Amino acid sequence: MATRKKSLLKVIILGDSSVGKTSLMNQYINKRFSNQYKATIGADFCTKEVMADDRVVTMQIWDTAGQERFQSLGVAFYRGADCCVLVYDVTSPNSFKNLDSWRDEFLIQASPRDPDHFPFVVLGNKVDMDNRQVSTRRAQQWCQSKNDMPYFETSAKDGTNVELAFQTIARNALAQEAEVELYNEFPDQIRLNTDRNNRNGNADNCQC
Amino acid sequence: MDVEPPTNYSDSASMQSNSEYSDAECEPHIDENEYFHDTEREHNEIAHSVISEIREGLTPGTQNASNGINGKNANTSTNVHKSVSAESLPISNSTSTVSGEIVNSLSAATLDEGDDDDAQFDYMHDSVWRGQKKHIFILSEAGKPIYSLHGNEDKLATLFGVIQALVSFVQHGQDAITSIHAGGIKFVFLVRNTLILVAASRTNMSVAQLQLQLSDVYNQILSTLTNKHVTRIFEKRKNFDLRRSLAGSERLIYHLLSNDSSNKRVTNNVFTFLTNSIRVLPLPTTVRASIVSGIQSNCSKIKDLVFAVLIANNKLISLIRMKKYSIHPADLRLIFNLIECSESFKSSENWTPICLPKFDMNGYLYAHVSYLTDDCQACLLLLSVDPNVFFTLSDAKRRITDKLRSTKSLEAISREIEKPTNGGLNLTAIGIPELRHFLYKPKTAAQLLCSELMPPYTTLKEFERLEGIYCDLLHRIHNSTRPLKLIYEVHEREVVLAWVTAAYELYAVFEPLVDKCAVIKNVDKLIKWIEKEYDVFFIRNHPTF
Ligand SMILES: Nc1nc2c(ncn2[C@@H]2O[C@H](COP(=O)(O)OP(=O)(O)O)[C@@H](O)[C@H]2O)c(=O)[nH]1
Ligand SMILES: [Mg+2]
Repeated sequence: MATRKKSLLKVIILGDSSVGKTSLMNQYINKRFSNQYKATIGADFCTKEVMADDRVVTMQIWDTAGQERFQSLGVAFYRGADCCVLVYDVTSPNSFKNLDSWRDEFLIQASPRDPDHFPFVVLGNKVDMDNRQVSTRRAQQWCQSKNDMPYFETSAKDGTNVELAFQTIARNALAQEAEVELYNEFPDQIRLNTDRNNRNGNADNCQC
Repeated sequence: MDVEPPTNYSDSASMQSNSEYSDAECEPHIDENEYFHDTEREHNEIAHSVISEIREGLTPGTQNASNGINGKNANTSTNVHKSVSAESLPISNSTSTVSGEIVNSLSAATLDEGDDDDAQFDYMHDSVWRGQKKHIFILSEAGKPIYSLHGNEDKLATLFGVIQALVSFVQHGQDAITSIHAGGIKFVFLVRNTLILVAASRTNMSVAQLQLQLSDVYNQILSTLTNKHVTRIFEKRKNFDLRRSLAGSERLIYHLLSNDSSNKRVTNNVFTFLTNSIRVLPLPTTVRASIVSGIQSNCSKIKDLVFAVLIANNKLISLIRMKKYSIHPADLRLIFNLIECSESFKSSENWTPICLPKFDMNGYLYAHVSYLTDDCQACLLLLSVDPNVFFTLSDAKRRITDKLRSTKSLEAISREIEKPTNGGLNLTAIGIPELRHFLYKPKTAAQLLCSELMPPYTTLKEFERLEGIYCDLLHRIHNSTRPLKLIYEVHEREVVLAWVTAAYELYAVFEPLVDKCAVIKNVDKLIKWIEKEYDVFFIRNHPTF
């Protein structure tokens, strides 16, 4: 059906509660900002089509709650992610410190094939606020120490860098996703032997 | 034939029968609730949609007694009735939290309207999409879309995420989600080896029947890729987009699913998957025997040839098999499906790998596929395990055709194919005017005989009703905890009968005003007639090479 090659990327947004994950997603999807706080429970999903490297890419964005609640989905949530977005709040040093454990958590649960090169993107959010506590330098240093993860400072409130950040997310995930070997190893030939007698077919005892 | 006074006699008009025959496998409360659904559905038919169902059904506080979530290990004790939501609290609770967020993303999507994205077509607010009688979704365990029967799966990525979350949530509790029943829609789940398949249906199909359909779809995917390949892909890359591997075979999945009334098709085909069987092209026994010997004599020396299958019009003419091997009806349906939706096979000889999952889910058979001649539209498949025998099989096919021509078998086949009854049985031939339609399946073979569809069941609306009747009868007869042997019901618009004996299953629909004595007499006549003609309509044994 599809003539053009389609790409779909699973993107997971992680970070402490109330750093602005949901707001960033909403800003990106709707270009709107709602000041109304609503704790994320369980999971939330949204989809956005973007152009990246001349390709139409569908981003399937998985938003999670911080902390304990979203453990309920466990491994399943992280499974098969193409990119992980780590978000902290520049006014909350704790949320920055916790990025380490969010990253580890992701790598353990998702167990990507090549953890060193798995595409992460780090966002320092709420840069519109004046009580900033984590310096750009500190954040950049940390990102460099972890295989040079791309770092953006964003505001979900005024939209600063949000578009740019998600563009990078799409492109990095795509680059990773693109290098797929074609699994076309020559299939094994079915071996016929006399005692086999349709082991599958006999299970429901139903033959034509 | 003696029809004893039915032990399980039930009159559909009485409410009693509703619980009497409720399916314990699907929990009694469901049946009870479905009664409520129906009344509810009548009132706000238009407003209902798959998504609004999820929303209304699962949001906490909606207090909709007619919703239930069934996990495999969910409490199946009797008399759960409306207290079910309390009993399965952990499940409904958290699924609701998920759906609470669905509501969010939905309202977010609403805000989006008129903003920037025309490309971002929003199916979830599209009345045509929402109004479909049946949806089928296939996704990877990562929640990536693989297939949607209706609509571009890319644009439904949000919904696929929600499905994945529901499935994993229940899995996390060491359980497996089987179905969700909400406001007249059944959501049925089948999780198989890294793939998640979901049906959302307003049809009369039961959970088990929808699962059978999902499992046919799953088999179709394996038929293209093999189980081993799918497993290996996802072992290596959990984020793999399986659409890449399936490109080009979506049409097979679509065709497989398009055989019932939900796709506006009025055909007997749907009954083969409902009864897990196949249909046979009626032929005089001498004709079939000479076809078989024509194939046998030209194939017996070919090493590694496992099956020779001759089919026409979605029906089996003959099957010759390697000793000790047999073919499962689900596998044969995949073969029928492949032939039905490959017009191109008509114009040339073809060589195609095909995995028959019930035969061997991990490897391919190699099929030489061709139609016999221009004037005989029967299709011959020669299936070998050896990928390098095209020319051997091509040669065998030519000799088989010559042989069948010289024995006049080609003519006999063509004559049957061209009959307007299309392999269905014309009831006037039997002389039972009160009988409108029937399904007959012998116990010893997965073969189905059905009568030609005649008025009133030739219109979509009436056919849907017929389909519904059979779904219901089959469901109750095959109930694993309370299987029934006999159902006789007087409905408003027909009299229906289901009867299981040691030798066969019979499902029949009569004129509404016929009385019980007449039904007994007619059934007797029908059975005698079928027994007399048995070898024309059924194949007792599939010979070996
Ligand atoms: N000033 C400001 N407030 C923000 C920004 N992003 C989020 N917020 C606020 O921070 C709170 C938590 O945001 P939310 O998106 O729910 O965080 P989440 O728990 O990570 O999803 C809300 O009150 C938001 O309005 C931002 O960039 N600037
Ligand atoms: Mg949130």
